[in-house]
Amino acid sequence: MYPVIDSFAVHTLNGLWYGFILFMIASGLTIIFGVLGILNLAHGELYALGAFVVFSVVGYATGFVASPDDPVSAVIFGVVVLIAALVAAAILLPVGAFIEAVFVRPIYERDEVYQLLLTYALLLIFIDVMKFGWGTSPLDAGTYGGLNQIPTTEVVGVSYPSYNIIAMIVGVAVFAWLVWFFDQSKTGRIIRATAINRDMATAIGVSTDRTFTLVFAMGAFFAGFGGAMVSIGPQTAFLEMGLDPLVLSFVVIVVGGLGSLKGAFVGALLVGVISRWAIWLYPAVELAAPFAVMLLILLVKPEGLFGTWGEIE
Amino acid sequence: MSRLSPLEQREGETVVRVPLTRGLTLTIGQTVLALVGVLVLLGLPFLAGLVGLSWGRLFRGLLFGLAAVGLNLLLRHTELVSFGHAAFFGGGAYAVAVLAAHLEVSEGLLLLLAAVIVGTLLAAFIGYFVAGYVDIYFALLTLAFNAVIFATVFRSGFFNYNDGLAVRVGGDNPTLFGLGWTDLGYDLVLYYTTIVLMLVMLLLMWRLIHSPFGRALDAIGQDRTRARFIGIPVERYVWYSFTISGLYGAFAGGVYALQRLHVQPEPTLYVFVSGEILFMAILGGFTTLVGPLIGGVLLVYLLEATRFTFNYYHAPIGIILLAIVFFMPNGIMGSLPDILAGLRRRLSDPGRLGEDLRSIQSMVRRSLTRATTTVRILVFGVK
Repeated sequence: MYPVIDSFAVHTLNGLWYGFILFMIASGLTIIFGVLGILNLAHGELYALGAFVVFSVVGYATGFVASPDDPVSAVIFGVVVLIAALVAAAILLPVGAFIEAVFVRPIYERDEVYQLLLTYALLLIFIDVMKFGWGTSPLDAGTYGGLNQIPTTEVVGVSYPSYNIIAMIVGVAVFAWLVWFFDQSKTGRIIRATAINRDMATAIGVSTDRTFTLVFAMGAFFAGFGGAMVSIGPQTAFLEMGLDPLVLSFVVIVVGGLGSLKGAFVGALLVGVISRWAIWLYPAVELAAPFAVMLLILLVKPEGLFGTWGEIE
Repeated sequence: MSRLSPLEQREGETVVRVPLTRGLTLTIGQTVLALVGVLVLLGLPFLAGLVGLSWGRLFRGLLFGLAAVGLNLLLRHTELVSFGHAAFFGGGAYAVAVLAAHLEVSEGLLLLLAAVIVGTLLAAFIGYFVAGYVDIYFALLTLAFNAVIFATVFRSGFFNYNDGLAVRVGGDNPTLFGLGWTDLGYDLVLYYTTIVLMLVMLLLMWRLIHSPFGRALDAIGQDRTRARFIGIPVERYVWYSFTISGLYGAFAGGVYALQRLHVQPEPTLYVFVSGEILFMAILGGFTTLVGPLIGGVLLVYLLEATRFTFNYYHAPIGIILLAIVFFMPNGIMGSLPDILAGLRRRLSDPGRLGEDLRSIQSMVRRSLTRATTTVRILVFGVK
């Protein structure tokens, strides 16, 4: 028998899982804010859209593989589901690019209150687009059971749902890729240069228009990927699912520092773990706890834990 | 006699002095508009039914609009975007509900007074912490305070969780002016009391923004450092204006509770209600005094009415907001003079219409070319 881990560890692990999902949403929000200077209120709806799209894609993709009953077919099943999640998120790339090019681009120079108004309008429109596409009833991708057939218990030595472990590994991979992308790759450096000084970047031949489109599409991609990772788990995709993660990602990026990737990572894990501990210890404060943390950080250290204005680190 | 006559000649125009407000003058046209506005407000309970509108909904719209007028003090003058005004609206509403449900206070005006006091104290408390912050930090801080309050109410048995509290003592409507009323009488008395107070509050707001204090707020909005240099106590003034704007929200929330007779957290305290109050101000025109009121009526009516008639009720509002952002950035009231002037010019010179068409054509053509170029570059690269 493998040791059954105690409730403290379970709640911490659940918190980490939640934190990784939050990180995927908040990372998109924070790079969009860091580079474009826009606080995207429609970000939660991009996350919801990813959850809905993966429902359709997964249903199609898993038709090709055997239902998971032994470890080998379960692993194949898991790989197919992950690829489906990536495909679902990839569908959000053109969506994000379209939104940036058509709606967001004309308002960079305007007051921030118009930027908020515009993205709020997009949020409303997205809700109806999803209602039109998938109806009003919650959808369950139905892959949770299959994913849990993947034998992780033998590997990590404790019994804990395989899906959560996979989601956490994916979260780490996303963080690692983002750090590599902004640190090492040429495109990433161009984006950072644009964030630091738009005029200078233009002067050395960077097309800021295309950079911005790319950044917004990337943000949409990761929000959608986060939604996809949630939707293939035990949770359903429903119309209002975008609101809470949106507000919580504000908390995350404020705690971590606006525009900071590392900050979003630490902030997301912090918020995730704290909210799950609150559910476990004192459920009444579950909703308030993350905001209390945010208040404390804002009042004590307004620039956040890793705050650097307009620079991605 | 000229001292008593409300008419006065100023800069070649006949203007009307509004009684009781030193310095508030309107042109003849504005006076007519204002009088029509007041008459419409007074006749609303009877007029609304005639044109097929719901009076109760319009009433709620006015209340949210009044909260938006309060918020506009911050938005227009100190240029601070508050994302937490539902805290005061909901604070006022819950003050009424708690007093009625737990302490069995049954006099409506007393409840309203309590709402104003509680909401204003709440605003003073939050304002004390946020007055030093600007831009996005101010918005996020107010949002955080609002979210904490919502979460506390939502999860607390004292406020009866998600179901909220009824504003009834022993199953009866609250009394107004110490008297019990029938349902219709209650609504009418509440409405007219509110309208009178609302008009007074609008005049006071006008007085405030044209006072030295209001000018100081303008200065703070334009440049905090300079405002500090010329001796304006910036943080303290922002704190005052935050508290005053909270008072407006609290009053509106209190009346809302008395009108609905039931207070739930989601329609009054939720963070997205804060967003709606903000957007009402912009929709109606945040550069004007009464714009937010109009925006409130319009947005609340759209939000409530479309919910029951269309399956897709979010997108139309989204599209209206998009149109506001791109075509009418000053909101409805703010853009009205421009639109009227444009219309008048086109009426006197129909040839301009052809010019308009041509400019629209060239605009569409230009944006199409730009879009195809962007797509080509994105797909095939620069070469």
